[in-house]
Amino acid sequence: MVRIKLEHISMRFGDFYAVRDINLEINSGEYVTILGPSGCGKTSLIKVISGIWTPTEGKVYFDGLDVTKVPMEDRDVGYVFQNIALFPHMTLKENVAYSPRVKDQGEEAMESLSTEYLQLVNMLARAGMYPRELSGGEQQKVAIARALASGSKMLMLDEPLSALDARVRMELRYEIRRLVKKLGITVLHVTHDQEEAMSVSDRIVLMRYGTIAEAGSPLDIYRKPSSVFAANFIGETNLMECTVSDRSKSGKTKVKLRGGREIRTSKTNFSVGDPVVISVRPEHVYPAIDGLEAEVQSIVFMGTYWRVRTLAESRDYVEYNVPADEEVPEVGDTVHLVFNKKAVVVFARPQGGIEEEIRLE
Amino acid sequence: MSLLKRIDDLSDNRKVRSGWFVFACLVFILVIVVPSIFVVTNLFTDWELVDLVLNNEGIKDTVLSAVFNSFSIAFIVTIIDILVGLPMAWIMVRKNFHGKRWLDTLLDMPLAFPTAVLGISVVMFWISPDGISIPGLGLSLSPYMMVILLHIIFTYPYMVRSLSAILEQIDPNFETAGMTLGASRWTAVRTITLPLFRAGLATGFVLCFARSLSETGGTYIALTMMGVQTSFFTGPSFISFLKSDESLYTSDEMMGAQILISVVMIVLALVLMFVVRKFIAKFRIPYQKVWPQIGRKVSQGGLPKLKDGITIAFLIVIVLLPSFYIFMYLTEPMPQMDYGTLLTSIAISFGVAGVAVLVDIAIGVPMALYIARHKNGKLGQILDNLVNVPLIIPTTALGFSLSLFWGGFGLDSSFDLLLVIFGHISFTYPLVVRNLIGAIEEVDPSCEEIAMTLGAKPFQAFSKVLFPIINSAVIAGSILAFTRSLGETGATTSISQNVNTVPIYITHLVEDGLYTEAAMCSIVLIALCFILMFGIRVVTGRRSKRDA
Repeated sequence: MVRIKLEHISMRFGDFYAVRDINLEINSGEYVTILGPSGCGKTSLIKVISGIWTPTEGKVYFDGLDVTKVPMEDRDVGYVFQNIALFPHMTLKENVAYSPRVKDQGEEAMESLSTEYLQLVNMLARAGMYPRELSGGEQQKVAIARALASGSKMLMLDEPLSALDARVRMELRYEIRRLVKKLGITVLHVTHDQEEAMSVSDRIVLMRYGTIAEAGSPLDIYRKPSSVFAANFIGETNLMECTVSDRSKSGKTKVKLRGGREIRTSKTNFSVGDPVVISVRPEHVYPAIDGLEAEVQSIVFMGTYWRVRTLAESRDYVEYNVPADEEVPEVGDTVHLVFNKKAVVVFARPQGGIEEEIRLE
Repeated sequence: MSLLKRIDDLSDNRKVRSGWFVFACLVFILVIVVPSIFVVTNLFTDWELVDLVLNNEGIKDTVLSAVFNSFSIAFIVTIIDILVGLPMAWIMVRKNFHGKRWLDTLLDMPLAFPTAVLGISVVMFWISPDGISIPGLGLSLSPYMMVILLHIIFTYPYMVRSLSAILEQIDPNFETAGMTLGASRWTAVRTITLPLFRAGLATGFVLCFARSLSETGGTYIALTMMGVQTSFFTGPSFISFLKSDESLYTSDEMMGAQILISVVMIVLALVLMFVVRKFIAKFRIPYQKVWPQIGRKVSQGGLPKLKDGITIAFLIVIVLLPSFYIFMYLTEPMPQMDYGTLLTSIAISFGVAGVAVLVDIAIGVPMALYIARHKNGKLGQILDNLVNVPLIIPTTALGFSLSLFWGGFGLDSSFDLLLVIFGHISFTYPLVVRNLIGAIEEVDPSCEEIAMTLGAKPFQAFSKVLFPIINSAVIAGSILAFTRSLGETGATTSISQNVNTVPIYITHLVEDGLYTEAAMCSIVLIALCFILMFGIRVVTGRRSKRDA
């Protein structure tokens, strides 16, 4: 059980900051995912934590101890690679026993630890095989066993599932979570898959341009994102530019879309006339008799529901869901849409415009 | 245009394609492989000549000691190359620093120097031989040591290159993974990376060993400058020595000695290659036992820096300084030069090298294509091994064998130039084909398949899709083959006494004690080489920039 603390961490390559001034605390036994578009610095961050890289500025603490200068071989951080990196010339057993071997813990420890952790990931029956004889998912399980057999209480998972098939990915992610929770291990899991992040983590750290854009529990980030970027990156949403047209003393707010249609939103602190953006997720948009007028552009069956894409009178694209067994409109039909006002989140309008704000690279 | 179109249409015909491949195979077998090892049959047809040698204790001992010198020197040189090549490969592949590109270029420079030139330069640097006005270190070295120092220079780049090529393919994450599991860097390298090196070690070993075994010009010149060319021999230098005097090489006994030495070297070299391949395929670098404390000690503090320092120092002191020492002659007054002869020999050298490389490419491409795409087929594997044969055989033996083979067809001395070109094709062919195979294997076959689904004829798919992708490998292979041909002495002397390429001309100058003239010729040759290589780099560099 280890508590990790990062203080003003920066990782600079020449003029380029892979990570810039990050402060973060991770509680002992917490499962944290670092989420973000590619190139946002998420892998750099765990490389700094595990000691593979030494940060150009800032300090790393484990349980209050400054480990910034401790080399990776003494840091006791398990690291699992995206490309798995099992040693190809060693059997699974030798792979898992590698850490006790290089720490000279003796034959007995090598035997018992490798057996224990291979058992834990259900791979003991194949202990004598070589990595190339296994499927990708099985290889990654062994790689996790190898990292855990070092006795480490921290695990860095560097996009461990992204090289695997969709189905295997799903199964393995729950298995990893079950495993580390059972062992009480602190985990940092890097991924660019927001669904993966939502489903396994205690807390999501959303990164962008080398800095932390937002952090919080999956549900909080999903329901009350604090930036347009987070609202768009995590889950799906409709974004519309508008202006605050009315706000009561209690905070009840109305905004005016382009074209003049007025919409009620959740409570805010904005003033009348402020340029804002509203975010409303498709599941909070409903067809009704009256409301925002929109023309149906396309209808796609998503497996369990229909996704209807419309062009609203405000010139915004608005998407909403229809349950699979209900009737859907046809392309070209005019529909009227209303929003669940509690689920309409309001943000100050970003200066560079919405497109710039939600750009991934 | 219409010609290209006709080729396109022809290439659609299966028979034409197989015909072309069969033709390339036939040329390869009949012009390259068979003549290279033909001398082995002389062991039976001319047994009485060989018998003369075996009955003459004096000559027999000389021959045997020459062969022993060759093999033991090649072995020692290769081992040293591995020991200093490994850390250098690490520096080249895993480290980033300012001036890395310079180091990269410097590493290859000795390859652009004809070995005859290196011979002069290296002896000048280490000892102060008679007749040389430029002061050297003045060490008194045995001929054996001297030849080792010389051979390290032109084998070292091969070793570093082959080790780097393998290291580049080994995922650095393996080492990192090992270290996050608690291994020190030394332990991680020893237990993970080194055991994954086997294939690269085998290639590097065979390349360096063969190169050292075959080298003639530089060795002979170095021995001549030390004044021991008539008492200390390596296999190739012995043949060179015989060729220096017509009364020697035409005598029956010496003919027998040449056959014996050639056959012994060819057979030993081939057996050795086979054994090394088998041995290294079976050999496992042990990774079971670890010494964490020792590993930790050598991974920390100043030791890694010291190791890198020694590696760089070795490169500078043993490889670069002795190679470039010949430029000291630029400080001397210009000697009276026979420019006519020099220019003729340069023209011959460039002509031979140019023709050889063009033929290599023409018959090498279909061969490389076949081998790369049929790696697992039986014929593919056989050809793959056969291609290496001319590379393994000492070029002096190869040249001697070639002259016996074609001499049997009645090609007398008026065909010497043609035979020399044949000889140069033989030992440069593997360099071009190896490079091509490597490059083609990297290209996904679906690239060509896609081109053909879009309507390209097979030749169009090759010329418009595959060739532009492997272009740089073709150029790299050609440069390697060209410089190798330019610097070759052994094959040329043993084929003919009349074809005066530059290295031969330089050798003659050295034999006559005209060191200054020899040095000047060398400098001119090196300058031409660099202008050529630089020109090619500029042209190809511009192209790659445009592509990017």
